[in-house]
Parts: sequence; C-alpha cells; structure tokens
Amino acid sequence: MAAKDSPLKQFEIDTISNIEIGNYNLSFTNSSFAMLLTVLIITLFLTLTVNTRSIIPTRMQLISELMYNFIAQLLNDTVGDNGKKYFPFVFSLFMFVLIGNMVGMIPYQFTFTSHIIVTFALAAVVFIGVTILGFINHGIKFFSLFVIPGVPFYMHPLLIPIEVISYLSRPISLSVRLFANMLAGHTLLKVFAGFVVSMPFFTGVFPLAFIVALTGLEILIAFLQAYVFAILTCLYINDAYHLH
Amino acid sequence: MPQLNPEFFVSQLFWLAVFFSFLLIFLWRVSLPRISLVLEKRQRKIDENLSSAKMLQEQAQEIESNINNKISKAKQDADEKIKKAISSLQSDVSTKLSTLDEELEIKISNSEKEILKSKESQMKNIDNEIANITKITVSKITNLSISESEIEQAIKTRKGLLS
Repeated sequence: MAAKDSPLKQFEIDTISNIEIGNYNLSFTNSSFAMLLTVLIITLFLTLTVNTRSIIPTRMQLISELMYNFIAQLLNDTVGDNGKKYFPFVFSLFMFVLIGNMVGMIPYQFTFTSHIIVTFALAAVVFIGVTILGFINHGIKFFSLFVIPGVPFYMHPLLIPIEVISYLSRPISLSVRLFANMLAGHTLLKVFAGFVVSMPFFTGVFPLAFIVALTGLEILIAFLQAYVFAILTCLYINDAYHLH
Repeated sequence: MPQLNPEFFVSQLFWLAVFFSFLLIFLWRVSLPRISLVLEKRQRKIDENLSSAKMLQEQAQEIESNINNKISKAKQDADEKIKKAISSLQSDVSTKLSTLDEELEIKISNSEKEILKSKESQMKNIDNEIANITKITVSKITNLSISESEIEQAIKTRKGLLS
C-alpha cells in the first residue's frame, strides 16, 4: 500500500497558516481548526439554545439542559457536594472531548482526540490538578492514599509501590484509552474504505455496509469515551477529597 | 505514525491550551450560569405551584370539613325538630281525644236521659191509648159502660201481673 493511501494518513497534521514564535512552531493546523470548530459548536449551541431562557424549554434548549443535568448528576453522584466547584471544568472537559470526537466523525474532518499529545495534555491537567487539590485538602496526609486500610502490615511493602505506580499511571491510562479508541476506530474505518475501493465489481458493497455499521459504533464510542473521561475525572476529584 | 511525530507537539499543545481555556472560561462565565438560571427558575416555579397547590388542597379540605360539619349539624337539627313535632302532635292528639271522650260521654248521658224521658211519656200515652181502646172495644162488644177509673185499675193490675 502506498504511503498516500495509508490508513494512518488521516492523522497527519497539515499546516493551514504558518506561525512561528521564537523557536517554536505554533502553526495553525487542521488539528487547531478542529479544536476551533469544536469550541465554536459548543459555545454557540449552549449559548443560542438557552437564549430565550424560557421556563418551558424548546427542543434545543432541552438538549443543553440535559447535558448540564447529565454532568451535574454525574459529579454529584461521584463527588457529592464538594464537586460543585469543579462542574465548569468537568463539563468543559466532557463537551470538548465529546464534540471533538463527533467532529472527527465528519468525513474529511480531523480528529484531534486521536492525537496522544492532546489527550495526554488533557489527562495531565486532570492529574496535576487533582494531585494539587489532594495536597491542599489533606497536606502530607494525602500520601495515605497509597496505604490501603485493613491490609496486614507485612503486605504494605508490596502494596504501596503498586498503589504509587497505579496512581502515577492514571494520566497515561486516561489519555491512552481515549487516544487508542479514536485511533483504532478511525483506522478501521479507513481500512474498510480501502476495501470498498479495491474490491472488484459489486462486492465493495459489503465493506461499505460494514462502514455504515461501524460509523454508528464509532459515534457510540465517541460518546462513551467522553463519558469515561468525565467520570474518571470525577472519581479522581473524589479521591482528592476522600482518601479511603 | 503521525501521532508520534514531535514536529507539531508544541503547536497542538499551544492551540489546545488556547481553545480549551477559552471554552472553560466561556462556559464557566456565560453558558453554564444561563442554564443554571433557567433550571433554578423552573424549579422555583414548580415549587411555587406545588406549594400553592398544597395550600389550595388544604383550603379545599377545610371547606369540605365545614360542609360536613354543617350537614351533620343540620341533620341533628332536623332530627330534633322531627322529634319535637312528633311529641307535640302526640300530646295534642291525646288531649283532643280526651276532650272528645268527655264531650261524647256528656252527649251520651244527655241522650240517654232524653230517651228515658220520651220513653216514659210514650208509656203514658200508651196507657191512655190502651184505656181508650179498651173502653171502645168494651162498649162496642158489651154495651156496658165502664168508668175510666175502673179501666185504669184493671190496667194497673195487668201491668203488675206482667212485670
């Protein structure tokens, strides 16, 4: 397969306008454009649909309210009353990942959540934020997060390193989960799209039908991964409040 | 794999930071307060309606109990009035019956007396008639003239025999 037909071609970044500040390449790329599109969709939708502020909501307003209540409920269920402060952050994170994934489902549109650097940055913000929050809330006692209560003392030398490693791997698992899901889904779509072109006669209909089904699955995954990202963020925030 | 090409890492991080912070601040300051305002407004409205409904229900219950009280009171009143009427009617009837009895007794005794009187007078007349008839029949049959005193005597003796 030639390089230009590679299923990974879709993940390549193209510069739209070249910007360089100092030694850094800050070019506005198709990835940046997808982010811009995502942010515009979210802000415009959430602002315009609630513009009338009517007590009896229109259909579009209801969608905004449902999203609001969905994340508010999620945060309330996992963190409780302490979670209200982090609602804007969790909501922004959820919407950014969700709409970013959805924008990626538009044909020829770039999927910025399929780039590990983007998902890792988001996960790192969550990880660093939660760690700082834990130290603010508990001080040095935050380290007792690694000590599992009710375990025989001789097990601690084994368990504490495991706990520390699992804590430190949080941003990696959080980012790789989203990145890998997006990468795999979009690659699979492209592979089957290649089959549609290369198969003889009408047999290309079968992979096409598969692509249609897979698109539905991808939309489900787009939502699911955003949800998982948000709920894990909520759980980490909860850990920063309640050690065990 | 283009994801591992560090050429655009800085650019992506930069634009991610720009757009995500814009999104966060915009949602935090503009969009979410609007939605929460609408939700609160709706909740308030619902609460108001619920409380007013509760109040109305309480009022309705009060009115209902008032009506029930009035109905039971009216029933009691009616019962009492009926009892009173019955007892007064009974006493009325008994007094009227007793006066009627008395009047009737007086009338009965009066008429008994009258009957007795008329019977006596009739009896007297009958005696006279008997005397006359006797006188006439005796004179027609025997040509004997009998004095009235004799006839009376005879009747009296007859009566004495009969009685």
